[in-house]
Parts: sequence; C-alpha cells; structure tokens
Amino acid sequence: MVVQLGLVANGYRDPHNYFAFQPFNESSTYAVELVRVLPHGERVAVPNGRWEGYDWDELIGWRALQGPWHQRHAFSGVDAVVDYLDHALDWMADNTPNDAQTLYLEATVTYYRNARGPYVTVIRSHDRELGRP
Amino acid sequence: MTPTTTPPTTVDWRIRCRRWLDDVFDEPASVRAVAIVRIVLGPSAIWHLRPFLADALDGVTYLDVFQQKWWPWVPNAPAGLYVALLWIGVAAAVLMTVGLWSRAATWVTLAVVAYNFFLSETHFRHNRAFLIILLAGVALCDNGRVLSLDARRRHTPDDRALIWPVWLLRFEAAAIYFASGFSKLIDPDWVGGRVMHDRTLRYQSDVRDALGDTLADPILEVLTARAFQWVLSPVAVATELFIAFGIWFRRTRLAAVWVAVAFHVGIEVSAQVEVFSVIAIGALAIWAVPSTRDRTLVTPSGWVRWLDWMARFDITVVPGASWRMVDRDGTVLEGQLARQFVRTRLPATFLFSRFWRYR
Repeated sequence: MVVQLGLVANGYRDPHNYFAFQPFNESSTYAVELVRVLPHGERVAVPNGRWEGYDWDELIGWRALQGPWHQRHAFSGVDAVVDYLDHALDWMADNTPNDAQTLYLEATVTYYRNARGPYVTVIRSHDRELGRP
Repeated sequence: MTPTTTPPTTVDWRIRCRRWLDDVFDEPASVRAVAIVRIVLGPSAIWHLRPFLADALDGVTYLDVFQQKWWPWVPNAPAGLYVALLWIGVAAAVLMTVGLWSRAATWVTLAVVAYNFFLSETHFRHNRAFLIILLAGVALCDNGRVLSLDARRRHTPDDRALIWPVWLLRFEAAAIYFASGFSKLIDPDWVGGRVMHDRTLRYQSDVRDALGDTLADPILEVLTARAFQWVLSPVAVATELFIAFGIWFRRTRLAAVWVAVAFHVGIEVSAQVEVFSVIAIGALAIWAVPSTRDRTLVTPSGWVRWLDWMARFDITVVPGASWRMVDRDGTVLEGQLARQFVRTRLPATFLFSRFWRYR
C-alpha cells in the first residue's frame, strides 16, 4: 500500500506516470522532423522515416511512435512522447548497422500541449561509432 | 492531574480496529468474489497476450523492434523461449479460468504477463498495470476453493480462506480511481474541459464514421460544444472520486458500484482501453461482503439459482410459493419487496434494480 501511494505521488514527477494511474491526462499532439547528421555536419532529411534501407515505423513497431511525420496524438502526454523519442533515437543509432554515414540522428519535435502552442524541442541520439564493421 | 483511564470512545475504537485486523488476517471468509475475479482475469490475460502472439506468429518479437528496458538486469529471453513463455501464459490463463490448479496457474499467468510487461517500457499501459496488480492479488489468495475444478475434487466443500489479499485489492482499486480523479481535479485544463473538448474535436471523424452523418450531426453538435465539455469534465472527475470514496461505505457502496459500471461502459464505448473495462468491472466483485448463503430465500422462480453467482442467498425453490427473504439481521421481506431486494443482489439484474432502496 505504501509502495502504491509512493508510485501515485511519483506520477507528478515522472513523465510516464508509471503505476500512477493518470489515464487520458492530456490532449496533446506532436509531429517530428527527422534528420541524419553526417560527420562533417551536413544535415540530411529523412523523408517518411526511410533511410539506407531502414524504415522508422518498422523498427519502432509501436503505434504510439509510428508515423510521427504528420501531427498525431501524444500517447500519455507530450513529456512521455519526447522521452520515448529520445530513447528511440539512441536505439535507432545502435540498431542500424548498414548506415555507415550518419554520426547521429536529430529530431525536431513540434508539439501542442492541450491545444496550446506550437512549442518546439530538439532531441538527438548519441554519436555513432562510424567505420565499425 | 493526569487522567488514569482511557476515554471509552478511544477504547471502542481500539477494540474495533483490533477486531477488524483479526478478521482480515486471522479469520477465514468466503473467497467466492476472488474466484469470480479469477474467472474474469483468465480470458482477459489471454486477450492481453493475443497481440504479442499475433506478432510472434508473423515472426516479430520485442527483440526486433524498439525496446526501452525498465531495468538493465531484466534478462532478454531469446525469441523461441519468449514465444514459448507466451503460450505457457495462455495455457495457465485457461487453467485459471476453469480453476484447475487454480493458484499455481494464477502465479504462472502473473509471471508471464509481468515478465512481458517489464521487458520494455513500451509495453506499459495503465490497463496492463492494473491487470498485473489484480493477478497478484488473486494469486495471493486461495482462489480455487470455489467455482473451480479444484473445488469439485474436494471431499468437503469449503469456500473460506484468509482474505487479507482482498483488502489489498480493495485498496489498489480505490487508489486507482482516486489517483485518476485527483490528478484531473488539480489540472485546470482537465477540470475546465479543455482536454476533453480538444479530444472530442480531434476524434469527431470517428463518431461520424461509426454513426453516419445523419445520426452523428446532432450528437456532435452537443459533444463538441465548449459549454458541454465545461460541464462534463468536472462531472467525470467527480464520478471517479465518488467511486474511490463511496465504494468503502455500506450506504454508498451499491451506488458507487452502479456508477462504476456505467463509467466503464462509457469509457469502453468512447476509447480504446484494451482489457481495462472488463477487468475493472470484474474487480468490483471484491467489494461484496465475504460471506455466502447467509440470507434465506423462498422463491417460486428457479432462475434465481442460476443468477446468484455471488451466492448471496440460501435458496429454496417452492413452486407456487410467494417470495420471502430473511436478511442477515433477521429482517423479513415478502412478496414484491423480497423480489426487488433479490434483484439488487444479483449481478445480472443489479444495474436495473432499485438498489437505492435496499442498501
């Protein structure tokens, strides 16, 4: 019971509200512009999330983050989605070995929090180790 | 001068508290309500595992897509083992439902559902968290003593066991309604109607697709009105808070259960919440008094036996007799009053009964 109360209280800090039971907490929307940043700083757009034989939607495999190129509902709130996207970029950087050019992925997230906005935040993956077999 | 005696009210309070703790932790009581929750959770667990199995049949597991670990020490099962675990979970859920090796089957189902849940944060949903909590509560209870194949195999039927897990489940269920309601109460965007209004505007095309323009137009005119959502949102918040508190007290419990059923049906119609509606309505059984057949009923209608899932009555069917019910406290109801009372205590007729007259 104490643990549950702690988790409920933690929900006001945790963007995901894990075990804090705050369903339908926002009516926010977001859209993503994804670019690949190459070692020399060149920025290459990733239209519809496809690059070097990879497909964002296929690799994500989760409806909440699929097709973010068009404005869509922010599952569990904007803060949760941005956090998921941040981890997703790192995961993409680690799991696209055929991409020998990209140093890191960068996503510009434009969002409306409960119909207010737009607000913009930029997130990026960690640097990839290029030239690794 | 220092008082040497404790005021009587304090003593009463302490005695009542001690008796309650004795009842909770030492006195066996009927676990029939827990068995009902078990029967609801079995198919719900299968329904919950279904999309993961469907993906696995298409050759896709959590290993092939974005995964965000809850904790690094949770081991990743290889694809073959993972799929086997999912099928074991389904088999255990079937055993749970029919009540064969009930408690062990519930633990196995819980283990599979929880393992799958904690493989990746992307598997998180509120309804899945609630499913895990309910499975844990039911597993902690000796839930196979009734409404099970295990019970049929027993030589001396006895549906009683320790029920402290029921109190734990009651706390969890009420905490969920409270957490949801309170978080919305302190959010001006929610309680002021902004969230609901924007959501309704965004999904009005779904209503139009489902109902067609002719029917949808007048409905949407109301639903998308800012004033309507300004009223509806605080009502929704009050509903959750009423359930959270009202369900604890005998005088308001039946009303809270009625409101909760209507609330969950409303959510199921208007949103996609996976197994939440079913398990939340099923979990309302835990609020029944954990004693069975402690009211006597004489009735000419055999159907009562079939609908008395919670075993509220010790029933004698006498063709041609008039209805007569003796309550726990000795109160006798006859004729239409007895019939009305019975309807308030049968799950299948409760929603349409005059429950407010028989609290």
